[in-house]
Amino acid sequence: MRRVVAAVLAVGALVLAGCSSSKPSSSSKGSELNDRTGTSAGGFDGLGLNPAQPRPSFTLTDTTGKPFAFAQRTAGHPTLLYFGYTQCPDVCPETMADIGLALKAIPAAIQKKTYVVFVSTDVKHDTGPVIAQWLTNFAPNSSATFVGLRGTQAQIDAAQTAAHITVAEDGGQTHSALVLLFGADDYARVAYTQSTTEQQQMTHDLPLVAG
Amino acid sequence: MRRGGIVVGVALAAIGAAGMIRASIPQSIATTGSTGADPIVVSGAYVRPPAPPTQLAAAYFTVYNTTGVDDRLTSVVTGAGATAVLHTLIGGVMTAVSGGVTIPAHGSLVLSTGSGHVMISDLFGPLKPGQSVNIDLTFQNAGQITVTAPVIALGATAPTGAATTGATK
Repeated sequence: MRRVVAAVLAVGALVLAGCSSSKPSSSSKGSELNDRTGTSAGGFDGLGLNPAQPRPSFTLTDTTGKPFAFAQRTAGHPTLLYFGYTQCPDVCPETMADIGLALKAIPAAIQKKTYVVFVSTDVKHDTGPVIAQWLTNFAPNSSATFVGLRGTQAQIDAAQTAAHITVAEDGGQTHSALVLLFGADDYARVAYTQSTTEQQQMTHDLPLVAG
Repeated sequence: MRRGGIVVGVALAAIGAAGMIRASIPQSIATTGSTGADPIVVSGAYVRPPAPPTQLAAAYFTVYNTTGVDDRLTSVVTGAGATAVLHTLIGGVMTAVSGGVTIPAHGSLVLSTGSGHVMISDLFGPLKPGQSVNIDLTFQNAGQITVTAPVIALGATAPTGAATTGATK
């Protein structure tokens, strides 16, 4: 209960992780992405990611207890991916509220095909039912698909690593504040941190990646 | 390790969310932040309600020290819940502050999403947008200041003056 919220503004860290994980020798995308620098910087209101990050592969458990393979299940869909925990008093609910409201502001057709995937970093306390109820706060009347995921500590750590997100600490309470937006092309070129304009940034950017 | 914090609210006789109405301060202090004579000015106060099943609320505001001498926020008590703990970002980690926090001379303490908040728990009752919560702030030099903070829905625009996210001094 007396939780400490955890907002690591991991922009710098994320960039680092992105850089160190790209293997120039094995990735043909390196040069391709470099060529897109102008595009990625120009179009988005959020934080541009360069190089772009491919949709990560990890399988966790959804709130009904079924396995959810992130990359496969969300492939081709605009997808907002966020790691946080429900007992977080400030950044997490604020971020999720921004996502929920941004979705309402975009065209219905895009809203309908968008996935919002929340991964709990609090392995100990966030059960399926807790996450499911918590998500309903942010998805009233939404036609987007909200997915809540949980897993073992090792699985959650691996998922964050796969997503190039700083791995959460302190029982999940110190976690990255980044929301990654993957587009229909299965790459994330933009991310968000909680701010007073986060909602507007997402509203602006979502249609750009919807395909 | 980060338990505790400076402020353990006293359960002021269960007065509910909008309780603790006491001799209220001029509204201008809570909203404009520019009343010249006050040593400490608090602006942009608001409270975010909990997202069930979580039962934690967060209060945000900015404290300006208009004097030439450092002051110290030593205690926070709110009408919304029995426990209130100040958290600020220390070394990139949101940390419960113990022993109070210094507001430098001519400086400020900005509590905004991601930079700090007062975490309110053991709520006296539901918190709904449209209600308001009284927050008592006690300062070493300036004494006690009560601010009235509206409850603003998650995601809804915060009152002017609360939007600052930059450095605090």
